Amino acid sequence: MPDRNFFLSPKASKARLREAERARQNRWDIIQAVSHGQVSRRDLIKMGLFTSAGLLVPVGGLSPFARSAFADSNIPTGLPPSPLGTTTAFSTPMPRFDLFPRIPVSALTPAPTAQANTTQQPVDPALGGGTGPIEGRPPGPIWAHQQFGLLPPAIAVDGSVEGAKTNTVYNPGVPSNLNSGINPATPIPFKFHPNLPTQQAVKAWTYNGTIPPKLMQVRYGEPVLFRLHNRLPVQQSQNGGFGIHTISTHEHNGHHGAENDGFTGAYFFPNQFYDYHYPIVLAGRNTINTTASDPFASGPTDAGGLMKVPGDWHETMSTHWFHDHMFSFTAQNVYKGIAGMFNIYSGLDRGAEDINDGVNLRLPSGRASVSGKSWGNLDYDVNLMIADKAWDAQGQLAMDIFEFDGFLGDRMTVNLTYKPYFEVERRKYRFRILNASVSRFFKIALSDGSPMIQIANDGNLFPHPVVLTQLDEQGIAERYDIVIDFSRYSVNQTVWMVNLAEHQDGKKVSKDLSLSEALSGNSQDPCVGKFLEFRIVRDPAQPDISQVPATMIPNPDLTNIPVAHERTFEFNSGANQTTNDPVTTFFGPWGIKTNNQGATLAADFGRISAAPKFGTREVWTLKNGGGGWDHPIHIHFEECQTLSRDGSASKVPAWERGRKDVWRLRPSGEVKITLQFRDFGGMFMEHCHNTMHEDNAMLLRWEIDGAGTPFLNPLPTPIPSPQGVTFMAPDDILPGAFY
Amino acid sequence: MNTKLNIKTLSLGIVVVLAMLALGGLSVQAQTTTTAADAPVDSSITLPVKGSVTDPNGTVTLTGNVIITCRRVVDTTSVANPSIVLLDFDFSGVQGSSGSTKATLKTYVTGENHATEMRPLQASDTIIVATPYFDSTKDALSARTMLVSATLNFDISSGKLTSGSLSVGNNVVTSAAVGTVTAAPIQ
Repeated sequence: MPDRNFFLSPKASKARLREAERARQNRWDIIQAVSHGQVSRRDLIKMGLFTSAGLLVPVGGLSPFARSAFADSNIPTGLPPSPLGTTTAFSTPMPRFDLFPRIPVSALTPAPTAQANTTQQPVDPALGGGTGPIEGRPPGPIWAHQQFGLLPPAIAVDGSVEGAKTNTVYNPGVPSNLNSGINPATPIPFKFHPNLPTQQAVKAWTYNGTIPPKLMQVRYGEPVLFRLHNRLPVQQSQNGGFGIHTISTHEHNGHHGAENDGFTGAYFFPNQFYDYHYPIVLAGRNTINTTASDPFASGPTDAGGLMKVPGDWHETMSTHWFHDHMFSFTAQNVYKGIAGMFNIYSGLDRGAEDINDGVNLRLPSGRASVSGKSWGNLDYDVNLMIADKAWDAQGQLAMDIFEFDGFLGDRMTVNLTYKPYFEVERRKYRFRILNASVSRFFKIALSDGSPMIQIANDGNLFPHPVVLTQLDEQGIAERYDIVIDFSRYSVNQTVWMVNLAEHQDGKKVSKDLSLSEALSGNSQDPCVGKFLEFRIVRDPAQPDISQVPATMIPNPDLTNIPVAHERTFEFNSGANQTTNDPVTTFFGPWGIKTNNQGATLAADFGRISAAPKFGTREVWTLKNGGGGWDHPIHIHFEECQTLSRDGSASKVPAWERGRKDVWRLRPSGEVKITLQFRDFGGMFMEHCHNTMHEDNAMLLRWEIDGAGTPFLNPLPTPIPSPQGVTFMAPDDILPGAFY
Repeated sequence: MNTKLNIKTLSLGIVVVLAMLALGGLSVQAQTTTTAADAPVDSSITLPVKGSVTDPNGTVTLTGNVIITCRRVVDTTSVANPSIVLLDFDFSGVQGSSGSTKATLKTYVTGENHATEMRPLQASDTIIVATPYFDSTKDALSARTMLVSATLNFDISSGKLTSGSLSVGNNVVTSAAVGTVTAAPIQ
């Protein structure tokens, strides 16, 4: 008998469904009051509705997990299922991502500046009135774009975050016949399926306010200026009951200066913009291959050649994503849709399978000779953003922000479309799979058990490809790049992607099912089973010449880099909060204990928990303090190598022997990693990417010590407001943070 | 960001809900921490495997050993399913062959494939794992699928994996499903 199941069966009695809907409505009233600033979580604790650990108390009429009046056992009420109406699975095509237009930097007005542009503008009375800076980036030299003169932006992307609206400028980057027949000229209303309601502007927020989600294509050697406008409502209450209108975008996991990392406390307000400068450089650029003489360290030119760049080519990255990172609201804002993907092209990973120059790995993508594009061909290189969603009785996106264990949706979406189909040719495809859920883990297989070749993990091509019939569990924010060879099928055959990971709650996977179990339809988790249908529609017009080489990118050699310091981070429930700054602190059941000292602490972005020295390498141990949950832990800034799992190097599976930036610790598990701190300075983060855990409040700040002028030691904490960002000294510096 | 409770700004509905719930005789969820008794328990067994699968190259006979490592962890937050096992199947010791003459003999390997599974701890658990195999002279893109059915026995009190058996089943691979599968109705 399961402890509880998140969603009721659609076959549950009407009385029970009514009870669940009433409980959800009661919570909804509180959620709205919290999100509108009418009541705080501290107030709710005082009123006895939250435990001191931040958990919603299990009372009938409020918690979905309180014992139901209609249940004859300990089975709780559960949530009502999201209505589908006449919508059926696999009845609408999966849209490819929508390309963010690349424009000249000169097209930006005003021109980007190294330090934040503090030109004053009137501030809406709803935000306090007066005047404030047009750019929300913290002012001054510490938050100036690092190496802006050395790496000036070569192209720009001018985007926004705004409420849901119809997309009239969709550009998938491929012809319609490679996008399941979708005509890009047809306006796309914001719906999860054509038969489902259009989302209200307050319910769904995305980049540019539209679907499909956005894809940014960048390349090594070409720095990018991403100007992001906050066009969300000035009224905090105009949020559809969840989400907040202050935002910060993290390019996950860019090797950039901290000012461009989307630091959780460097958020900005409606009517402001923030210039993110993405230099797109190889790690080690100041110490390795500094003369840019190695052709393997390179980006593609428009003419089909290579532009060589400094740095270590073993640090080449490929598949990133970008998403909101607003302090204590990341889960809500990302769930509303503030997430996109970010493909980085290099000499090695060119996106042009017919260029054979001894550097290009020739992975499935498309032919330059056909498209005329020497890099970034997407014909057979497909981004998949997988996320579970839920909607209310009216079909509007719904979320329960009180599910601090983790929030689960009951409807699977791919590229924000409910259970779509995708037409493929009989050849190899590359899929860049992103888990963009709030709390759900996936475990993906093909419905016929056919092999898949995993080539990358978290955007890092492996030393060697790994053949699998089921992928490992994929935690939130992890990216798995795989190759599927559809030539094994006949035209008109169909095969599905299947989710094998069954959840009962948002804490962790409750059971990994076998393929037959997942396909049986017996799971009580509605997100188990088939979620994406591949329709094999034709033979390719030209032979498939793409490759999956036996050797791709060997790991960087660390043998001559001494370990300067070791640290331990333990991820627990029952966190304490030792500071009380109203802006920088938060509380919740989750927290992090550092170096086995003191208490497990809830997040405070004004607290410095670690300060590695610039130019050094450290070893960090990440521990899961309990067996009741899993935590996908993300460390910002630079890719790491996994040294051991549960104390043993041999327990690191083949698909984790490359570089990574997110680790599922697994229940009661422990991971040891090593990472370097170089090229840039500033303050970064480490947190659980179950974003409900992150927001409540499993996140810490670390910063690089000794990165040179203008960086101070310690760094002052930014305190944003619409009228301008001020700074204050750190609230707290943990013992041993600096050494 | 910082909010203070201002009861005047709350709607009547929310006040009523909050008041009802605050007065509702609330219980506090127990704190959950891991104790020494809940510490992970590791165990491992090596099981021989033997069987055959149907392949375009003919019958492929598979032999060798599978190392199964098990970690029992305790979910202190769960009443019904407190113990779970994290299993890792290492198939790298399995090899296959087909052909009866020197000219037709082919050998097959499984690559670096491991399968990982998280399951509730029970005395006996049957798990069907699909795993790849491919001609050792070719690359992984030529891989096909075999089914390994594992029956594993656990000591419930210690959480250790104590014994088990493995069999290799036919690779019943169709566009609809694998193995003996009843397809679920499409929602």
